[in-house]
Amino acid sequence: MTMHRDTHLRTHCAIDPDGRVTFRLPPGPALRPQLLLRLRPQKGRPETTLHLLDLEPGRAGGQLHAVLEPHPALDEGRWDLYLLPEPEAERQRLRPGLRDLRVLVDGHLRDRPSPVAVRVPYVTKDGFLALRAWRRTAHAEVRAIDVTEQALTVEARLHGAELHEGATVRLRLRGSDTVRDLRPRIDDDGRGFSFTAGPEDLTGSTAGPGRIWDAFVRPAADAPPVRIGRLLDDVADRKHVFVYPALTAGGSSSRPYYTVDNDLAIEVTPAESPICPK
Amino acid sequence: MVGAVYATMKISFLIHNAYGIGGTITTTFNLAGALAERHDVEIVSALRHREHPHLVLDPRVRLRALVDLRKEADHPLHQRPAKVFPAAEYRHRQYSELTDQRIGEWLEALDTDVVIGTRPGLNVHIARQAPQRVLRVGQEHLTLDNHPPGLRTALRRAYRRLDVITTVTEADAAAYRRKMWLPGVHVEALPNSVPDPALSPADGTAKIVIAAGRLVPVKRYDLLIEAFAQVAAAFPDWQLRIYGKGEEEPRLRELIERLRLWNNVFLMGAATPMEAEWAKGSIGAAASDFEPFGMTIVEAMRCGLPVVSTDCPYGPGEIIQDGADGRLVPVKDADALASALLELVGDDERRRRMGRTALDNARRFAPGPVVAQAERLLEKALTTRTTGRRTTTLPDHRTSGALTGRGHAARDAAHAAAVGALRAIRKGR
Repeated sequence: MTMHRDTHLRTHCAIDPDGRVTFRLPPGPALRPQLLLRLRPQKGRPETTLHLLDLEPGRAGGQLHAVLEPHPALDEGRWDLYLLPEPEAERQRLRPGLRDLRVLVDGHLRDRPSPVAVRVPYVTKDGFLALRAWRRTAHAEVRAIDVTEQALTVEARLHGAELHEGATVRLRLRGSDTVRDLRPRIDDDGRGFSFTAGPEDLTGSTAGPGRIWDAFVRPAADAPPVRIGRLLDDVADRKHVFVYPALTAGGSSSRPYYTVDNDLAIEVTPAESPICPK
Repeated sequence: MVGAVYATMKISFLIHNAYGIGGTITTTFNLAGALAERHDVEIVSALRHREHPHLVLDPRVRLRALVDLRKEADHPLHQRPAKVFPAAEYRHRQYSELTDQRIGEWLEALDTDVVIGTRPGLNVHIARQAPQRVLRVGQEHLTLDNHPPGLRTALRRAYRRLDVITTVTEADAAAYRRKMWLPGVHVEALPNSVPDPALSPADGTAKIVIAAGRLVPVKRYDLLIEAFAQVAAAFPDWQLRIYGKGEEEPRLRELIERLRLWNNVFLMGAATPMEAEWAKGSIGAAASDFEPFGMTIVEAMRCGLPVVSTDCPYGPGEIIQDGADGRLVPVKDADALASALLELVGDDERRRRMGRTALDNARRFAPGPVVAQAERLLEKALTTRTTGRRTTTLPDHRTSGALTGRGHAARDAAHAAAVGALRAIRKGR
């Protein structure tokens, strides 16, 4: 039989705790093969950012290796991966092989310096290998979310910055200037914190049906807001995996969820409408 | 016979649809690929609905299809119900007079030493339509006891005309021997194989329990989630990850919510291959009420995970050695499942030791040993049959019930004397 046409482009990858990614491709006829990383542009926009890595024969089985070092940090976004057989040749998009991401599983346990840079190899919806990258001056990693009948409570830990006396959690109503500031409980180490939001914080005159609050923490009274999300493990697409119940009160239903970028948001909908987490 | 250099055999597998996804396809591709090391192997797919198979097949194995649904779905014969493929078979609706005809023609003209069917309806085709010169093998990937009575009746009649039946467990092989009158048919358990993992095994440090399979009621993920509530209460930093898709998803989601486990239990969606996911875990889990084999248990063990499973019929008890490389607990018992999980979650040293044992013990399911057994089995059956024909005057010993016992004895005696005769005879063909 004929094999999948793309079989020879199945690429194994493994990541180490520092974020170094090693790619392994089956050997091919190319003389000077390179691995091309392309930051996926917005629809209709030209591509602007490319990285090239040399593919070199490794020790075992003549496979080609390329190493993406932790530095420089990649720009935040989705990076598509291609094989470039020759400098002028047509590039071929890579299919995923095994992705050994085991060291990422407990990545939230290590405190990160600023800037917080994260990469997670993943498989795109149409079945190609890609790399999800985040790069943030600071980042607040959610650890647990508790939802009761009265309130929702988020436990998180700040990376790349320290919490001070006047720290606040800020909920910003998407597409508007409306904000709600909440007082967090701060752990002694100035990193861990938690906050509780009740129905009164999430609904009210300004928040109509179908509104979304994005969640930030301001480490000090005058500090720029830091996004709260969940980036420090092996899950690149969390939205439909980490699913939370809704807090229902006063005719509204408030459900915490992760956006397609793994940032924390809270969606407020009228309680009588059927809730669909998708 | 161990260590013997086997003669090359021509082997044909007959499969429902090699272009889909599923346990039978995986295990058939694995076995065919491994046999292709020394033999001439083809897979014939009764149906085809896409250009390339989902799963990667060894390039030495030829693949073709008998009915291409992309072009022939509207064929007039395909609108009429199948007559050879038994009506009581689960997939009868997908078969037709067209498949009857194509499979029949293909079998009649078959030029191989061995033909292997991979599901009951196709085994019936082989029993009824394959020529006697070919060794006729029927594989049972499910279990006899779980087939509906109508199907069992159809199989009882047809399977007497097979040479070999393989089951995936000893327990099912015993059921065939006990419950079917199959004079002269060799019944043997041949487990599914799992390829050697490409990644290094899990080291037992991750605080993750992993389960994988279709989200269907028989897998009892509800029971597993219920049991995991006790684990999460005692060890809040442990996760349960369930991989797979299926009809139970909304109900499981509800249960996770009701038990307030959304920070600990995750429905991960489907992952293929699972290997890199197993490597992230420290314990495998299975809670099924019924499991013909238990492929995911073997997969997890081959990645170095001890597995906690219900001791359901039939597979888990033949894979897991309770207390050594995993735990077996009574079916439908959430508390027992929880205690077994807690034993391993709470004892790092024991968990790691059992993981290493699982890795060693699961090597018997590597393609090497399983394929060696398959080769021995086929060679022996071919030899027995050839010598049987030479030493008996019976026109067809398979249909001669009264002489069954004598047939077994004669075959066994002949086999001892005839090892090696096969090669000479088949060379002369």
